[in-house]
Amino acid sequence: MRYLWVMISLLPVYLALTANLEVSNLIVGALLTLFVAVLLPPMQRSINVARLPGALLALLQYIIVLMIELIRSGLQVARIVLSPSLPIRPGIIAIPSGTNSELATALSAHAISVTPGELVVEIDDQGVMYTHCLDASQPEEARLFAQRQRHDLLRRIIQ
Amino acid sequence: MSAVLDLVLYLALAIHLGLLAVCVWRVWRGENVIDRLLGADVFATLVMAVLVLVALLTLNSLYIDVALALAALGFIGTIALAKYIADQQIF
Amino acid sequence: MQPILELIAILAVIGGTAFSITGVLGLVRLPDVYTRLHATGKVGVFGVVLLLIAALLLTPLGLGKGLVLIVLLLIGGPVTAHALASAAYRIRIPLKHALRDDLAETSEPEP
Repeated sequence: MRYLWVMISLLPVYLALTANLEVSNLIVGALLTLFVAVLLPPMQRSINVARLPGALLALLQYIIVLMIELIRSGLQVARIVLSPSLPIRPGIIAIPSGTNSELATALSAHAISVTPGELVVEIDDQGVMYTHCLDASQPEEARLFAQRQRHDLLRRIIQ
Repeated sequence: MSAVLDLVLYLALAIHLGLLAVCVWRVWRGENVIDRLLGADVFATLVMAVLVLVALLTLNSLYIDVALALAALGFIGTIALAKYIADQQIF
Repeated sequence: MQPILELIAILAVIGGTAFSITGVLGLVRLPDVYTRLHATGKVGVFGVVLLLIAALLLTPLGLGKGLVLIVLLLIGGPVTAHALASAAYRIRIPLKHALRDDLAETSEPEP
């Protein structure tokens, strides 16, 4: 059962890579993903099937939010680099992640690196993320509010 | 339409080759070791872009496979080198 | 249908090339490693992904591979940037024109 979830999530990747839906290819893919699932360390958390649709919906919403942030960050960096005066005020700012879970901290660190002009440099034991910002003169409250929103969305995906 | 596409693709290919030269210059004359590593990382990314452009020019999806392998190897290589520089050991 | 696909592909190639140029321009113009990482992350995330979208439209066989490569780039780009920034801070490469540095205050007592 524990192997099945890994296999279900890995099989689409294999089928996309080989672009071949024959039965023999499906069997080879199933054997390969089973091999990978046996090699991986067992998962710590169990998956609750009743919560799965809600979590997938939250994941979709999270991906859409990330895409919008990604496009905004690309346009912002392009504007900064192309303007003749280089309007940057860099600095490293501490943002507490507000959670003890390692997985949630790692995911919000990834999300922060995607948001405009921010890049995580270091994470300490308490889950505080030291973030390099292109514009460090902005008020602190906006950053903390954005992190709280990210954290709420992440908690709906993983519990 | 196809002629315009070919023209755009050849122009993009020429521009990317110029950008590759800039990256080689950054690796050669970097300020510090991370700067040079960053130049090498951008070089790998641009080679991926060149491969995708070649796939578009020849309409052959085989080059996308090569780009996939290069993406995986470049990712692992850059992270392993960064960890080695920071900790003086890989594992 | 084919001319519309080609038009989208042309726009995507032009956009991707423009982002690659801004990324490498940022690599040359920006003052230190940390700010350069912001600019070069966009080469992988935008330059290659836009070119790949053009390739997906015109070479139908590569659909699955192209999608896997796009997902790999979108997940791996920020991770590479973080690894390089962390390595740069650990070998104590200084920040230039920094307004504030919260990390220096906490890590200073350490010998």
